[in-house]
Amino acid sequence: MIRVSAQLRNTIQRTTLPLLVLVSASTVLLGKADEMMLDSVRTTVTDGFAPALDIASRPLVAAGNLIDRVRGAINLYQDNRRLEQDNERLMQWQQSALKLAADNKQLRGLLKAVPEPNVAYVTARVIANSGGAYVRTVMVNAGSEDNLSRGQAAIGGDGLVGRLTEVGARAARVLLITDLNSRVPVTVENSHRNAVLAGDNSERPRLAYVGSPENLKIGDRVVTSGEGGVFPPGLPVGVIASLDGGGARVEPYVELSQLSYLLIVNYGLAGGLPQPVPIAPHSGRRPKAAPPPDETSVR
Amino acid sequence: MALNLFSMPALPRTNSGAARLFPLMTTILAALVTIVPLQIPGYAALTPAFLLMAAYHWTIYRPDLLPPFALFAVGTAEDLLTGGPIGVSALMLLLVRVGVLQYRRYFVNRGFAFVWAGFTLLTWGALVAAWALHCLLAMTVLGFRATLFRIVLTVAIFPLASFLLGRGQRALIGAG
Repeated sequence: MIRVSAQLRNTIQRTTLPLLVLVSASTVLLGKADEMMLDSVRTTVTDGFAPALDIASRPLVAAGNLIDRVRGAINLYQDNRRLEQDNERLMQWQQSALKLAADNKQLRGLLKAVPEPNVAYVTARVIANSGGAYVRTVMVNAGSEDNLSRGQAAIGGDGLVGRLTEVGARAARVLLITDLNSRVPVTVENSHRNAVLAGDNSERPRLAYVGSPENLKIGDRVVTSGEGGVFPPGLPVGVIASLDGGGARVEPYVELSQLSYLLIVNYGLAGGLPQPVPIAPHSGRRPKAAPPPDETSVR
Repeated sequence: MALNLFSMPALPRTNSGAARLFPLMTTILAALVTIVPLQIPGYAALTPAFLLMAAYHWTIYRPDLLPPFALFAVGTAEDLLTGGPIGVSALMLLLVRVGVLQYRRYFVNRGFAFVWAGFTLLTWGALVAAWALHCLLAMTVLGFRATLFRIVLTVAIFPLASFLLGRGQRALIGAG
């Protein structure tokens, strides 16, 4: 009796490892063959882990803030000088912006232009990154409970960061513009040339389909073109940083390796991404009422 | 004969329940450290392979306390959370176990330099294989520079990780 069970245990022990090797190898193949199927599993697991990651990332944010404070205190004098100069310059900009806004409003009235849609923001904190994997994504601590949905744009301080590709109830994944699978329709501002910003996992994504590159200059601003309907036109993305052999590379405005807070923006355009297969039935939580537009909610 | 590759040597049993969880807990911690967003420029792409360190250490010293299923679960969770292709990390960790178990007897009572050299070889093998697999899955040649930096960083940080894991091991569960 005892011998049989020991033998059985031995057999199980011996077969577990090769069996699991087989299972993981087949998962790799399965994931490649049918990405949608494993997506719902991924969303569920991500959602489950989100609270733990949220807590784990908090001390890091606090530490980052502390370092910033210390650095700020050390550079107080220079920062103040710089800010005073900036302020002076920006005041002039403000005057011209106000004048342009008034002109714009008046001209829109004359043209009977359709008003721009109201924009709703959600501020979310980055709780996980891609940890050396061959993808460039981050996870944020907001999800469909906060009215996020697939395809919405994520913006950092100065420009576009990426878009939501996977939204769970409490967490969502942002595909950064540097990822191999990221394609963003953009316009190069000075030459009004349309192109596609194609990520290749490097820090500077490539401008694809740009046609003849002779009109491009280093330092040209690159903004979203709004084509394809996923992003609104005019979101700043970056500047052309290098031109080589007919290709241009763009330095994003946002430092993508040091993201801590992101603004997820709902322009009412999020129809640009196909929906994944239906996910498991709703967990029974009641969705929160939609916040009024133009209101910023912070998590 | 072939299955002997995967067989596990008999090891002394430890009595304390909580201490027996130490290898699993440190492996989970390694997975966590990999994905939390540290505010270091370029960290996300160059994160050292902490999971590899934990898997290597425990497979040498206490393979009984970090069973294949634990490696599979942690690896799969890691893939799901980082957004990478699912199964790649689990496969890598399990193959590390297969490889290390074969040569385990040479490592157990050797000095640290020998163990470190073994880890260097393993890191090269594992990360280059992972890079090749990702290239295959993405149907394109991915830049190798980041992988090279990751290998160097991983090998450089291993002594510290090994020291901490060894200390914890001696304090809680004793040597294998």
